[in-house]
Amino acid sequence: MRFDTIIIGGGLSSLVCGIRLQRAGKKCVIVSAGQNALHFSSGTFGLLGRLIDGTEVSEPLKALSFLPESHPYSKIGVEKMTEYIAEVPSFFESCGVRLHPSQAPGEGGFPVNGYRITPMGSLKPGWLAMDEVTLLPSKDNMPWHKALIVNFSGFLDFNAGFIAEGLSRRGVECRVEPVSIADVELLRKNPTEMRSVGIARVMTKEGNWKEFGSKVRELVKGEELVILPEVFGLGDPVIIQWLREMIPAEVMFVGTMPPSVPGIRAQIRLKKAFEAAGGTFLQGDTAVDPLVEEGRVVSIHTVNLGNLSLTADYFVLASGHLFGKGLEAAPSKVVEPVFGLDTDFPADRSAWCDEDFFARQEYAGFGVVCDQSFRPSIGGRRIGNLYVIGSEVGGCNSLYEGSGAGVAIMTAMNVADSILEER
Amino acid sequence: MEEFDVIVVGGGITGAGTARDCALRGLKVLLIERDDIATGATGRNHGLLHSGARYAVTDKESASECISENMILKKVARHCVDDTSGLFITLPEDDLEYQDTFVKSCLAAGIKAEVIDPKEALRLEPSVNPDIIGAVRVPDGCVDPFRLCSANIVDAKLHGAKIALRSEVVGFIKEGDTVRGVKVLDRSTKQVNDYYSKIVVNAAGIWGHHIASLAGVNIGMFPAKGALLIFAHRVNSMVINRCRKPANADILVPGDTVCVIGTTSTRVPYEECDNMRVTPDEVRLLLTEGAKLAPCLEHTRILRGYAGVRPLVSADNDPSGRNISRGIVCLDHETRDGIKGFVSITGGKLMTYRLMAEIATDTVCRKLGVEASCQTAKLPLPGSEGGGLEKIAKKIWEVPTTAQKALVGRFGAGAAHLDFDDDKGGVVCECEEVTVAEVDAAAEYLDVNDLVDLRRRTRVGMGTCQGELCACRAAGRLAKANGCAAKAREDLKSFMRERWKGMYPVAWGETLREGSYTQWVYSEVLGLNEDR
Repeated sequence: MRFDTIIIGGGLSSLVCGIRLQRAGKKCVIVSAGQNALHFSSGTFGLLGRLIDGTEVSEPLKALSFLPESHPYSKIGVEKMTEYIAEVPSFFESCGVRLHPSQAPGEGGFPVNGYRITPMGSLKPGWLAMDEVTLLPSKDNMPWHKALIVNFSGFLDFNAGFIAEGLSRRGVECRVEPVSIADVELLRKNPTEMRSVGIARVMTKEGNWKEFGSKVRELVKGEELVILPEVFGLGDPVIIQWLREMIPAEVMFVGTMPPSVPGIRAQIRLKKAFEAAGGTFLQGDTAVDPLVEEGRVVSIHTVNLGNLSLTADYFVLASGHLFGKGLEAAPSKVVEPVFGLDTDFPADRSAWCDEDFFARQEYAGFGVVCDQSFRPSIGGRRIGNLYVIGSEVGGCNSLYEGSGAGVAIMTAMNVADSILEER
Repeated sequence: MEEFDVIVVGGGITGAGTARDCALRGLKVLLIERDDIATGATGRNHGLLHSGARYAVTDKESASECISENMILKKVARHCVDDTSGLFITLPEDDLEYQDTFVKSCLAAGIKAEVIDPKEALRLEPSVNPDIIGAVRVPDGCVDPFRLCSANIVDAKLHGAKIALRSEVVGFIKEGDTVRGVKVLDRSTKQVNDYYSKIVVNAAGIWGHHIASLAGVNIGMFPAKGALLIFAHRVNSMVINRCRKPANADILVPGDTVCVIGTTSTRVPYEECDNMRVTPDEVRLLLTEGAKLAPCLEHTRILRGYAGVRPLVSADNDPSGRNISRGIVCLDHETRDGIKGFVSITGGKLMTYRLMAEIATDTVCRKLGVEASCQTAKLPLPGSEGGGLEKIAKKIWEVPTTAQKALVGRFGAGAAHLDFDDDKGGVVCECEEVTVAEVDAAAEYLDVNDLVDLRRRTRVGMGTCQGELCACRAAGRLAKANGCAAKAREDLKSFMRERWKGMYPVAWGETLREGSYTQWVYSEVLGLNEDR
């Protein structure tokens, strides 16, 4: 089978790149092994939350000049970054994914980080928020005095107590109330169903979310803010809007333990947008046996398609970091398993991790060695028609920087443009 | 002034067992533990229910003690025991003639040892190395040391003993050469309180060295570190041992949902006992030797590494430590050092804790002139009394069937008393099937202060995910029980740090992959790394 571009991996970077190419008339296939980081999303996209030395960043674009040359953002450059950043909200809107920029651009038109309330009641910087998620302009000034936090009874993956504690530290008085819905009670018979997506599936039924909404409405006693778990609008996010209209207070949705309902919805919608543009999405398949000749990838195979080889002019590797199996950490080296690309990691394994769980972990900065246009190499030899995007790209510690989604989107757009320009 | 008959120092299995035995004999008991139950060597070993076979050739006395205690624990602590049986295998590189010596020695010590065809061994235990040239079946099993320790504490309390956790002995109250009590630092309030008793029993494991020195007594202890690795699957259903003289990393023990390979044995400085770390060399050794017992370990995710310190004691007139015994050592410091009212019980092993407790309690009773006899060889521990485990499981029909089995495994007969009303049938820890009811009961009755304590009582976070989901759920539940979310949040951070400490020495491959996911969830999604 012949394509213009073959993309390996089915997550955020892969879909953004695929949609961009497909819409420009390039025939693309995405080979996706399964779940990806979107399923475990925080509900916000981070661009840059802090620098590697720990300095907090409030205006990501202004901070670009402090990044090392090897950082993917430095490779893209300020000019392109500014252009892409401006384009992102409308790009996602066109895919059916509504994203709210954190707030009005700061001085000089730069975007400013906002803050999301986490499931533990902390505040975490973010750049774009999915439909139901609210980004606050400040960590300190909460515009509310009283909040009502509602949870489903028996739902352990949304800890209202922690959110209440976090908010009360910031001067918001909180009340926590449980709500029972018959169909959710049924889920509890099998405890493993009592997860965010299980409830979200039940809440797609009109009778259920309406019952929930009216129960919450009755509970409100003068609170200006109502906080609900992110388990609504898995099918159609319009439910989120309707709930907001039903409840006589500002309604904010806060994340649950994974999986992430807004993340999964975004993944579904991006995939649909890719397919609507004519792209082919191979779900649950794994790329294997690439044929590389004279510094170019000629073809790959997949587990499901067997002998049938897939050929293309360009190949894009977007198969993720360690958890996505885009990289594998053997006891003494880090391997990129599909092509055997050159990787960047500390030779001494004792430098991979910090003994403190919450400290900066160097392993999160493992990645594929890339040139200025994100082209990798094998044994030092450049591969001309292969690009790497997303968390697999070396040169940054996304977990520490809070730049995971940003790097995925920016590298995807940049590589898509490179491929389009080369023709 | 309240005076106890006996103060037991140490909340490990020896202290817990001694407190129970003393309480059962009608003594007024106070147990003092500086941290939580089972924090020392009790919670840092294989969890092997020795048949004694391992010691049959080299240490007949230990072997006889083991098989006798093995048969007692299978009755009185059956909800803590998994009667898996065990294999002693001979590999091509080992001497097959040793098997004869081994079997003869086992039989002489009263241990049933049955030579079986290697092919039969492979059928019984498919994970065993297929290259084996010899196999002997023995009545080994596994025991949950946390559960065992907790059951002893529960019973001691039921018989009137008082338990003071997070309480550290910082000095002795003496009148001349007689011990009258101990000075105890309450770690929560930071206050030092005096507690009086007729006798103090030092059952503090390796830390007994320090306790004795506070009383002005020297016990020549030799801290011997043992490192172990836990794998994310129960690859073997029987205990697998090497049929050779005891050496490094030659036992693979299944336990609940996991299996454990160990151990090493290294002399360590006493000062390091509080902070044991598994070194890269130990990891390498454990993996290489472990794969010889069960080759599939090479491809099995390692959950974590940990290390404990054996409280070995040198014979009294052997300060060089050459004749270190692994047997039980009970020291009456009145006759040994001229210090009255002070007894140390040490040496020994998890397997013989009950016998150690009996010996210590006998000594106490003799000194106090109390005539009551020991009942612990007959009297079941709480949870092991009553009908069969299947019968108990039926009493908690409202809980999902998979959780029923796990619950009864942990609580035995006690499972029937748990409260599953309201929303308490929900599962907190999916790997180990721990229910809300258990978490609540542990918080209410089992002296749980934080998440790490909770793990020791319920296995929350001990399974394959190492707390990815359940830690946060359990923290929420504890916050509810204790009414303090801020503390539960800090506890959750400590819990994740503690889990990572065990993953850190083996952080590559699937272990690092899983760790990276956990770090993503806790830092990026939950924002637990953010300052408040």
